Amino acid sequence: MHKVKKLYFPFTRAGIQELLAYRMNFLCFFFGELFYCFVMYYVWKAVFESSGSGTFMDFSMNDMVVYLFISNVTGFITSSNVCEQVGDEIKDGSISMRLIKPVNCNLSYLFKELGQLVVLLTLIFVPMVLGVEIYRYCVNGFIMFNIVNFLLYLLSASFAYLISFYLNLCFGFMAFFVKNLWGFNILKKSLIKFLSGAVIPLAFMPNIIKQILELMPFASLSYTPVMIYMGKYDTQQIVFNILLQLFWLMFFYVLSKLIWKKAIKYLCVQGG
Amino acid sequence: MIYAEHLRKEFKKVIKEPGLKGSIKALFKPHKEIVVAAEDISFHVPKGEILGFIGPNGAGKSTVIKMLTGILTPTSGECRINGKIPQNDRKNYVKEIGVVFGQRTQLWWDLPLVETYSVLKEIYEVSDEKFKERMAFLNEVLELEPFIKSPVRTLSLGQRMRADIAASMLHSPKVLFLDEPTIGLDVVVKDNIRQAIMKINKEEQTTVILTTHDISDIELLCDRIVMIDKGKNVYDGSLRELKANYGQMRELNFEANPSSKLTPEKFKSKLKLTDDDLSVECDKNIYKVRFNSAVMPVGEMLSYTLSQANIKDISIKDADVEEIIRRLYKQGVNTGA
Repeated sequence: MHKVKKLYFPFTRAGIQELLAYRMNFLCFFFGELFYCFVMYYVWKAVFESSGSGTFMDFSMNDMVVYLFISNVTGFITSSNVCEQVGDEIKDGSISMRLIKPVNCNLSYLFKELGQLVVLLTLIFVPMVLGVEIYRYCVNGFIMFNIVNFLLYLLSASFAYLISFYLNLCFGFMAFFVKNLWGFNILKKSLIKFLSGAVIPLAFMPNIIKQILELMPFASLSYTPVMIYMGKYDTQQIVFNILLQLFWLMFFYVLSKLIWKKAIKYLCVQGG
Repeated sequence: MIYAEHLRKEFKKVIKEPGLKGSIKALFKPHKEIVVAAEDISFHVPKGEILGFIGPNGAGKSTVIKMLTGILTPTSGECRINGKIPQNDRKNYVKEIGVVFGQRTQLWWDLPLVETYSVLKEIYEVSDEKFKERMAFLNEVLELEPFIKSPVRTLSLGQRMRADIAASMLHSPKVLFLDEPTIGLDVVVKDNIRQAIMKINKEEQTTVILTTHDISDIELLCDRIVMIDKGKNVYDGSLRELKANYGQMRELNFEANPSSKLTPEKFKSKLKLTDDDLSVECDKNIYKVRFNSAVMPVGEMLSYTLSQANIKDISIKDADVEEIIRRLYKQGVNTGA
């Protein structure tokens, strides 16, 4: 473990520095996401107001606000751009520069992203959660923050991130076979956005679809941690869903290993 | 040290017919073709040697280097370096090698150069002491100091290449693979890089495989050359041998007096030599004649030239390697391989 830390920590450090080198880019992205949250807020406000009753499928408008912001920030910190990165490196052949280093390729990607994650957590996640909690306090008049739920949320969100990483890695490896991932990526992104409940909470779906979607890996990416944060799950549901997350994590981890083993034999570095 | 036995690498390539129709057709029914990048390449390199690995563009040099460095898996054949097969245990194998691909970079694009080195230090587990000593050495030979704090993306090509070479040498590799390390560089930087390669080879007995199109790289650095063309060995031997076998070309330079009314055509016409054995270039009255001294002895050529015109100045010299290689490329002669 110590060796892993020593070997891969430089990637984490470099990931932090790299992200900070493009501060503006990152800020613009953040404000873009925030803007999206507010657009969704007004959309849902209109939905709730026109429905007449205060709650909709067990969600009050306040719940919806918390859901929107927390699911967005969760989506933000658990998203991984390793797919694009691997895809690009395979496409332009620069993956060869990674292959000549005595490190595990997948881990080097992972630890670099963890560095970026550190920045995202401190600069975006913490203020966002604080904001949401202040909002809840103002509306309800008492502190609703639950430390147990929050810790469970962090655990679940960590699994969510790792699932997202290995899922994206698997997608990225497709570049070995198709050479250009642009179309795949767009398809993948919109699928994930919809199926993970980032646009519409899965709770709003018809029962049978909801049950299927909750079992699929996409729900593990943001829906599960968010529901835990909001206290919508009882103990049994929490245990079940976290175990489900673990299952999907193992699944994509093993899958990525298998693809890598097979794919590396087919690698053809284009040009140069 | 390095053994390559009958290396062969095939690629599948989708062939697209021209135009939109071809694109659509390729989408539904791709026509695949097998391209052989390396057909049958064998050579070995003893420890401490600098091998020049040369050949025309598209000969398969880079493909072979990529197989030797463990990036590509050969379709058939085998390579062993330090007794290790690169593809079998990549992580352990690459600890012992340094690689530079002239057209790519291993530096962290957005970070100051010095950060790349500290990342590499950790990855290769170089001790603090060794690292300091190494950086001092590399600094001295490659003059990294002026730009070591600049982000890599702001470096010029020459600076970047020096930085890349330094990165490949940081962990004292046993074998160094340099794929066109001097591509696109000016004379001063080239010289820097050659110095570094020579020094590290001398002081640490580092084995070096070098591909290049720059003939002076070969003349200055390489003990031996392996030439390949169309994925096959064409020549394997020392430079001196090559010169002896193919170096009968001589270059005759002279300036003719305008009054003698000499033209290249006139000069050529009386000598019954083929184009391979004779070429004449003329700029104003300065002539450059390349001829094969095995077909026409030097003395004969001299007296012939003197008989043709009123000569102001005349000199004769051995053909350089470039000329030899040009001839070899053309003929694709197979000797010594």
